[in-house]
Amino acid sequence: MIDQARFAHASEAELARILDYYGVEWEYEPRTFPILWNTEGKVIESFSPDFYLPELDLFVELTTLKQSLVRRKNRKLRRLRELYPDIRVKLFYGKDFRALMLKYGRFDLAASLSGLEGQITPLSLGQPKLALTVPAPEAGDADVVALTAMPLIAPVVTSMRSRPRVSRGSRRRRGRRAFLAAREA
Amino acid sequence: MTEVSGVAEPSADIGDILVSEDQIRQKVAELGERISVDYAGRPVILVSVLKGALPFMADLMRAMRIPVQIDLMEVSSYGGKSTESTGLVRILKDLSSSIAGKDVLIVEDIIDTGLTLNYLLRYLRGKNPNSIKICALLDKPARRLVEIKIDYLGFTIPDEFVVGYGLDYGEYYRNLPFIGVLRRELYETQ
Repeated sequence: MIDQARFAHASEAELARILDYYGVEWEYEPRTFPILWNTEGKVIESFSPDFYLPELDLFVELTTLKQSLVRRKNRKLRRLRELYPDIRVKLFYGKDFRALMLKYGRFDLAASLSGLEGQITPLSLGQPKLALTVPAPEAGDADVVALTAMPLIAPVVTSMRSRPRVSRGSRRRRGRRAFLAAREA
Repeated sequence: MTEVSGVAEPSADIGDILVSEDQIRQKVAELGERISVDYAGRPVILVSVLKGALPFMADLMRAMRIPVQIDLMEVSSYGGKSTESTGLVRILKDLSSSIAGKDVLIVEDIIDTGLTLNYLLRYLRGKNPNSIKICALLDKPARRLVEIKIDYLGFTIPDEFVVGYGLDYGEYYRNLPFIGVLRRELYETQ
């Protein structure tokens, strides 16, 4: 039985349950990696990936932050990979985890996260809604298939297309934050 | 008469075709030939995982020129009805004959996280086959959690919701002869 209180976020407890379900061993935050030191050699920043999967020798970091707030975590992850090139870390973004929850029918958790991607097990979604146009498939021979390879009825709205435009003010503020973060580092 | 929720033309719910019928046919023939060469002189058991891999399995075995046996398995999925009671994967349908000492080729429709296949591999290895290899029609690496070596792969696809050629949404669309991206509005606003 997973002790929810042991985890910092409900999504972490859910991932632990999924790993248990499929018989994958895991350890929760078993190791902390120092990633920044001051001039006196004191650790001033560290990174503790959420899970370690011993059989797979893989660390998994789960972030349910909005995509716009992930920058700091990405920076820490880059730093971790630079300093510890031998360790394997997989970062699950909020949208990745939400897609996973949709796949497994955990709509309650999925709804609390941002983004929408991936396969769904529609246990409680009701019946599919329907359209009536008949497609005309075209041939192609690419093995790595791109989404835009064969437009059919209506273009699928990708996350890039649906992303809201960022104002100059926002870009300036983000630039300022990045500058301050870099200066801190 | 069974109500099919008013589906007049399932393919109308597809936004883009990722892999056409011709592409599938060509790829299956190519995979069948490769497998026939690699397994020449020794019979192989194709083990398919219900339900999505059925069309692929049916076409693949007919594209092979060597002696072939087939078997079917079904395993529960996380979030399914069995999750609450056991908390563990359940084998809903096991192999119908022994694979001990035999060459097994797992035939999968799609591999994304790799969790189910990882479980299945461990389970089948416990039955002492001579060898186990994997043949998958689709690979969605963006979602991979467990790295698994795919010995025979059809197509690598982007992280999109795909249906057709065995893949379903609410048990529909499996009969589409191609693989397409389900229109986002069909599940986004549910």
